[in-house]
Amino acid sequence: MRLTRIFAMAWENMKQRRVRTTLTTLGVVIGITAIISLASLGEGFRIDIKERMQSGFELDNLTVIPGSLFAGLSLDRFTDEKVQEISNVTGVKMATGVMQLGNVTLYNGNKEPVQAFVATAVNFTEFMQIFPDRFVFENEAPWQYTNDTIIIGYKVNHPNENITEPFAVANDTIDLTFGIPQKTPFPHMEYLNHTFTVGGTLQKRGTPGITNFDYWIFIPLETARTIFNSSEYDLIFAKVYNSEDSEQIAKDIEALFPPFKITILVPLTFIKQVDNILTVIQVFLMAIASISLLVAGIGIMNIMTVSVMERTREIGILKAIGTKSRTILSIFLAEAVLVGLLGGFIGIFTGYGLSFGLAQVLSSLIQPQQGTVLQNPERQNMSISPVFSPQWTAIAFVFAIVVCIIFGLYPARKASKLNPVEALRYE
Amino acid sequence: MSAILEVKDLWKSYYIGKIQVPALRGVSFDVKKGEFLAIFGPSGSGKSTLLHLMGGLDRPDQGEILIDGANLQKLHDNELAELRLRKIGFVFQFFNLLPKLTALRNVELPLTVAGLSEKETLEKAREMLKLMGLEARVDHKPSELSGGEQQRVAMARALINDPKIVLADEPTGNLDTKTGWELVELMRKLNREKGQTFVMITHDPHIADTADRVIHLRDGLIEGIQEASRRNVQ
Repeated sequence: MRLTRIFAMAWENMKQRRVRTTLTTLGVVIGITAIISLASLGEGFRIDIKERMQSGFELDNLTVIPGSLFAGLSLDRFTDEKVQEISNVTGVKMATGVMQLGNVTLYNGNKEPVQAFVATAVNFTEFMQIFPDRFVFENEAPWQYTNDTIIIGYKVNHPNENITEPFAVANDTIDLTFGIPQKTPFPHMEYLNHTFTVGGTLQKRGTPGITNFDYWIFIPLETARTIFNSSEYDLIFAKVYNSEDSEQIAKDIEALFPPFKITILVPLTFIKQVDNILTVIQVFLMAIASISLLVAGIGIMNIMTVSVMERTREIGILKAIGTKSRTILSIFLAEAVLVGLLGGFIGIFTGYGLSFGLAQVLSSLIQPQQGTVLQNPERQNMSISPVFSPQWTAIAFVFAIVVCIIFGLYPARKASKLNPVEALRYE
Repeated sequence: MSAILEVKDLWKSYYIGKIQVPALRGVSFDVKKGEFLAIFGPSGSGKSTLLHLMGGLDRPDQGEILIDGANLQKLHDNELAELRLRKIGFVFQFFNLLPKLTALRNVELPLTVAGLSEKETLEKAREMLKLMGLEARVDHKPSELSGGEQQRVAMARALINDPKIVLADEPTGNLDTKTGWELVELMRKLNREKGQTFVMITHDPHIADTADRVIHLRDGLIEGIQEASRRNVQ
């Protein structure tokens, strides 16, 4: 019997039992709707988070810090030679060392003094090249710095955002008090004062990656070396030419140091791990949604088994006129396949429809997170957009058909194995 | 005339629970090409069992059936189905038409199963229904047809694949006397004009008397075979 006629016959049978066919198909539609909506929402969510992280994390920047999670934090510091060696690693565009100066207090005339938790000494020229997007001034700065120039992060300059007046503006004179821990003759703090002139104040930039310059102040490296009588660094930033190579470059940098002496923070690795986790969550959600399709499959088996019983005499007639068992099996399986095709097809549309509706609801429920956000202020509002994934759609569609075939197989086999004489006698 | 069907020492029993009930106990006969044979017997004599075995719908416990030289016992289920499709036509007491299909679709069914194109199947089915005098009823469903019409549709379906033999199981059993006789006349006409071989089961002696030969069956045994020449059959 021709395949087209088998499907035509199956379709006729389905049309003759409209209510039953509709209910069976509805089960598949619900299953596929659940899978597709979760897949497209999950994909949208994953891509949104990935894009946020990619735009937030500076993928071409590696941060080298002393010590490791395995060997504990290290008090080791980096020398100029190490910075130079890192600069020479293939793929590294430039590297710059940063001295961390601890907690400082800033005084600006009669104004309320403010605290900066991270005072750093950097090479301004190099730093600007490494962080061109973050080292952006609130007002146009006369970019001629001297040994007493200080750059102030946004949060240090605006400790209370309700007060519009900043702590300092360019060319203000700032007194800085450094707290320097001393161990002898007993542990205590010594305070050191130094006067700086504000070279510029930074715009708000949030937390791209692991460092938040909003809470930082910057003084020239040469000045810090003189004040603290040290030329070693607490961390090194390395900018690479191509972020895709950053994992290999990190390995090359690690090879410059003894084992477990440094930790390199590679944004790309972090993003990949988060992406992997999100993919696993997505698959997990789809697996849960698939249960509804399996339930639909059991419904198909149930209804088809009843249908085989009802059509026993019809099967007997078909056998009497010479229909082979495998043709009868094919007719019933074709019905299951058609239910899968129809349910899968409708389910894809309803799935995407539902995912858009759910996305609207979810987006309205998620509150914008102030202060923790990244480089693009327009992305403050979290909005989930479902993403059409041809791959997941194809998988869901095939899954629907496969489930229908698997659950249709038992009743179809039952039909094909009927004894023709008994089937003809069936009332 | 050569034999189109040979039945040799056929045995068949059924089990009701653990009790063995013999239905056929060593039945042998043959059917010649172009013959119109009646198998006559009371209820429970084994007529239907014999017809099912001859049609390859069931398998005997012992004995052989040959149709057009093919030994049914040596055929697999699929081969038996193929044989039923190509060489045997069935007519049943209760018509056994598919209720959701029109007369035309019922008649074309064996051709469809045989793998012919829809164009061919519909054309042939239409011709066959015309031959049965049902050209005006092609688009009617069985429920819209009289008993006689339904049985003629069933006859058209049995003949559509040009079978070697038509096996009719009490074809008049569900029809009134007049319609029953009309159907028998139709069968005889097909037998005479087209040389179609028929084996008809009946428990009506008047219907049986129309056959070329009557096999009398009782309690699973052949009681006697009566030739038409010894009767005054018109």
